[in-house]
Amino acid sequence: MTFKQFIKELNGNRVEGELVKTIFYSLLTSFVFLVVIYYTKLMTVENLVQKYGLFLLLSALTYAIITPAIRQVRAYKELPCMSGMMIGMTIGMISGFMPGFLLGATNGMFVGTVFGMIVGITFGVWNGKSCGIMGTMEGIMAGFMGGIMGAMTAVMLLNDHLMAISIIIFIVSAVIMFSLNFMIYRETKESQKQIEEDHLFTIILTFTLMAATTWLMIFGPRSFLFGG
Amino acid sequence: MKNITIIISVIVMIALASAFVYSNSSSTNDKKTETTTSNGEVQKVILSYKSGNYYPQTVTVKSGQPVEISLDSSVKGCYRSFTISSLNVKKYLASPSDSVTFTPTKKGTYRFACSMGMGTGTLIVE
Repeated sequence: MTFKQFIKELNGNRVEGELVKTIFYSLLTSFVFLVVIYYTKLMTVENLVQKYGLFLLLSALTYAIITPAIRQVRAYKELPCMSGMMIGMTIGMISGFMPGFLLGATNGMFVGTVFGMIVGITFGVWNGKSCGIMGTMEGIMAGFMGGIMGAMTAVMLLNDHLMAISIIIFIVSAVIMFSLNFMIYRETKESQKQIEEDHLFTIILTFTLMAATTWLMIFGPRSFLFGG
Repeated sequence: MKNITIIISVIVMIALASAFVYSNSSSTNDKKTETTTSNGEVQKVILSYKSGNYYPQTVTVKSGQPVEISLDSSVKGCYRSFTISSLNVKKYLASPSDSVTFTPTKKGTYRFACSMGMGTGTLIVE
């Protein structure tokens, strides 16, 4: 019953009614950025689409599933402790794992791990702090672990259906993030949103993440595996 | 804007981007096949490293004759730990002068790999 209400709320006036729009604005920002940068700077890069196309596409999709959850958490500001810990862990883990995995697949273990950890820990702490120190700690640990695991998984699978596993991992991550949206809705059904935001936040956040990912993926340092 | 319109827009964007990536991703893998020559002596194979894997990825040898495999200096890290598990071949080839020698007696296709299974290739015994 609650799930049906959640689906109904995706069209409602609460912050859940903004989630689909957030995905849209995030994707739009990423694709506009990629098209502009492709025609202005990256057209001369050899085999660009073949080497990085799928990973850039998955980066755009990854940030489009992470930003709605961040927006939802920010809107309620404070959450019960167990929910905050789950939020810190889920957002920290997914936002560490996916960027780590995608950069691990193109640049190797070092760059993937460092970038995954930075994104994972930052988002984990940022969202986990909605319940205080426990959520913050959970966010740090999940971001740390997700970043390392993502890069490691990609490097281990380099010669074993990397493209297919990238898509499978993204689908699983999307299901997890959607479940998190639902969990936050269940926990905050009786609450009112504390912060009113427009979509500028989503656009800036997505742009920053996409710019960093694209630059590192194409021009960043590489491990021996990638001829660095 | 209604949610249904947004969802359709999202699907169209993803479909267009996927189509662009797919249409430009025609594979140009360097899967060169190397056939060793032999005059009743040892069949020598030197593998190197290219595009994240052993090169060539497919090696053809004759059965009943010794095969000597070595790795050149471009191969590094765990890739130097060379294995063909189904032929019970396993050796860490620390330098290009190191090699592993074995005699395949049964015709067939065997997988060779590094000890972690990250670099892989195929040995065809004819």
